[in-house]
Amino acid sequence: MLETRNLDKSFGAVHVTRDVSLKLERGERRVILGPNGAGKTTLFNQLVGELTPDSGSVHLAGADVTALPVAKRARRGLSRSYQKNTLFDGLTVEENLGLAAAVHTGSATQLWSDSLAKPEVREIVEEVAEQVNLTDFLQARVSEVSYGVRRQLEVGVALATRPHVLLMDEPTSGVGPEMAKGFHDLLNNLPRDLTLLIIEHDMDLAFDVADTITVLNYGEVVFDGLPEAARGSSLLKEIYLGSWEDA
Amino acid sequence: MFRHNALRCTVLLLLAAAALFQALTAGYFGLEILTEILILAILVLALDIAAGFGGMVSLCHGALMGVGAYAYAILSAKAGLSPPVAMAAALALTGGCAWVIGAICARSHGIYFIMATLAFGQMAYSYVFEAPVFGGDDGLGGIARLDLSLIGVDLNDSRSFALFCLAVLGAVYGASVLILRSGLGRSLAGVMHNEQRMRALGLTVWRVKADVFGLSGMIAGLAGVLAAQHVMYISPGLLSWTVSGEALVVVILGGLGTLVGPLVGAAAFVLLKHELSALTPHWHLVVGVILIAVVMSRANGIFGWIEACWGGRAERRAAKAVRKQKTKEVLSDA
Repeated sequence: MLETRNLDKSFGAVHVTRDVSLKLERGERRVILGPNGAGKTTLFNQLVGELTPDSGSVHLAGADVTALPVAKRARRGLSRSYQKNTLFDGLTVEENLGLAAAVHTGSATQLWSDSLAKPEVREIVEEVAEQVNLTDFLQARVSEVSYGVRRQLEVGVALATRPHVLLMDEPTSGVGPEMAKGFHDLLNNLPRDLTLLIIEHDMDLAFDVADTITVLNYGEVVFDGLPEAARGSSLLKEIYLGSWEDA
Repeated sequence: MFRHNALRCTVLLLLAAAALFQALTAGYFGLEILTEILILAILVLALDIAAGFGGMVSLCHGALMGVGAYAYAILSAKAGLSPPVAMAAALALTGGCAWVIGAICARSHGIYFIMATLAFGQMAYSYVFEAPVFGGDDGLGGIARLDLSLIGVDLNDSRSFALFCLAVLGAVYGASVLILRSGLGRSLAGVMHNEQRMRALGLTVWRVKADVFGLSGMIAGLAGVLAAQHVMYISPGLLSWTVSGEALVVVILGGLGTLVGPLVGAAAFVLLKHELSALTPHWHLVVGVILIAVVMSRANGIFGWIEACWGGRAERRAAKAVRKQKTKEVLSDA
């Protein structure tokens, strides 16, 4: 469903992505682990087209999308959520979800009708709001809701484009244990045919959700395999998991 | 997204009532001032859609107004087209020009967008100023007004023309609200709040900006057609960047991104100009001081200040109601 072949990216002398090759099957849920500065978010940025790789390619559903801009990749079913909330703060939760749903249904550029009043948009908004537990917040302005609700909305906006592949950059970043538990359910309840690639530091969540785990270190894939194998890997313990295992 | 509230509706009704009263009762001079306000109001509504709701601060809306005026003048007076056809063609041409400008400038932001639109405006001004077909420095005269004799209206009468402009302004305001509440308008709000996220959702951002700039330009062109019909003469000065600058001043003075505010700004600006210019030739200085005061007050123009006062009053009322309720409870407990 999503594949990278020998992706390479440098910023000056800093090599942030080194020859990264990944292959995600349809419906696969993969978690990317790695210490800060390992190049996880830079990899995401290259996957969605916000950064151009120096070399290598990105393939979506078998087609080479390396040269496509962000919007075109999104229209082909590649969606992402951000580590730092990237929402429409002055608008309501409903309007946030509606914007994404309108782009998906093609009503975002229509002049003679209100996209949010369209039945197909409303259907997506209501469905996604239920998925991310935001039904009670639909009329609230984003600027007025809590940080945790915003994190849920961040994922909801990405889901409202009805993606085939969803990239989630630290969905539980900054939320408390109770809210993080809610994210376990949220991720586990997503449709099984949706391909997920998640950057996550919450190990419980990572091992709960992941079918496969990829570990990046200094921009390089140092582990790619099943969660059970990741738990037993001494290399992983050394570069990343030591503190978690000891805890 | 644009929303009407009680205050906006009240101000809108008051403005409409005042304009209608003036149109029905004023003498020739009063009607001329009213028509000037109404045409400026159409131009600043166009600019508010682009700048206030889309973040596209344009310094070429004066030029777009001029394009509309010249297109109408050439097509009706020189090409011999009937005024309604010339008017429709002028609007289409202005909309097309604005769409192209919007598409080219859409990838720039802030000061770069302003400078790019200024360059387009000045290019148009220089060309019209020098091209003989446009009458050069002398401009063009003999421009006819629309013929509405079929419905018994003579637009050559100042009162009828003022009422006609008021009706057009009402229609433009309604169309502006519809644009801002449409799918395109919602997407524009999304782009204004977070362009990067809209792109990541799959929206072709430049296209949305170009479409809205095109529509905004078409409305500016309509203001130009009315201006040409009003004075029945046009000159290159209509395309000058100072006209765009003045429109921007009016939008900021009234209240950016409110639709109602620019209407207040247009009325305030034209009235101030006429009243002050009767007192001093340096009326620009007074308008400048007022503009600085408005900007420094941190209110969003005159309308923003009214909204802030209204909001404060509503808050005080709510607090008073809570106090009253609490006192009642204490008394009943006692």
